[in-house]
Amino acid sequence: MNQPELIAQLQQGDEQAFTKLVDEWQDMVYNTALGIVQNADDADDITQEVFIQVYQSVSSFKGDSKFSTWLYRITLSKALDHEKKKKRKKRFGFVQGLFGSQQEVQLHPVEFNHPGVELEKKERANELFAALKKIPENQRIAFTLHKLEGQSYQEVAEIMNTTLYAVESLMGRAKANLKKELSKFYNNIPEQ
Amino acid sequence: MNKKENINKLVEEALNSVDSIKRAEAKPFLLTRIHARMNKGTESVWEKAGWFIGRPAVAFAGLCLVVLVNTMVIVLNNPSVQTTVAEQPAQTQADEFSYTVATIYDFENTQP
Repeated sequence: MNQPELIAQLQQGDEQAFTKLVDEWQDMVYNTALGIVQNADDADDITQEVFIQVYQSVSSFKGDSKFSTWLYRITLSKALDHEKKKKRKKRFGFVQGLFGSQQEVQLHPVEFNHPGVELEKKERANELFAALKKIPENQRIAFTLHKLEGQSYQEVAEIMNTTLYAVESLMGRAKANLKKELSKFYNNIPEQ
Repeated sequence: MNKKENINKLVEEALNSVDSIKRAEAKPFLLTRIHARMNKGTESVWEKAGWFIGRPAVAFAGLCLVVLVNTMVIVLNNPSVQTTVAEQPAQTQADEFSYTVATIYDFENTQP
């Protein structure tokens, strides 16, 4: 079954087509969400939300862009919403803490381990992911799509609904900011 | 190797650490969890209300409203302000129209 056929069947509410869609795209959605939120449980939650959203709104997909582009956009939007929601919960938890409540919301685990990184590069990758959290959102999205998802600059531009030049610029700034954050981090490590 | 060179090396290593990264795989039985979630339905009213109240703009506006109402209550119930406002016109009116009640003493001591 090719992609247009699959989408047509999905639009008719075919359950088998939905199963096929989930099988085919789940890793892409999960990996993208994981790159943004840097938490396996949250990424799993987002993946579920994305497919539910796709199931509910596939009828509105007109085919103006590629299906993968549409799916990436939904995933990024859900992942960023999830992050904002979590930050709000953290603020609320802080206020509750002022009034003596013992509930604590952990925004992110201390260290994030991406399962796809080679073992000998884990330590450096963890530091890179920590730095990634500190750069502006659109730079982080461009970096995640290009580096973690292996999308070309042109594809990133389509997903982000911007120009190729803008993506090149975003990537340049992302790398510069990451270098700055990493240098700051390594500078603060006491020499042994 | 001096410290700066060492830091530059570490930065480059960190930036290149994701070059050969493999795509993370979703947890097993995703479809089952999706179906379970779809059957469970959407968020409850309380969850939606909590989400709405938790928005920074709404929370800040609510806080400002509480502060404003409290300030108004304090200002309106302030006794010094109320006395000034209530007594001043009454006194002025009494002076202007000679509302003072004449007592027996006043009548007896009236000068011709």
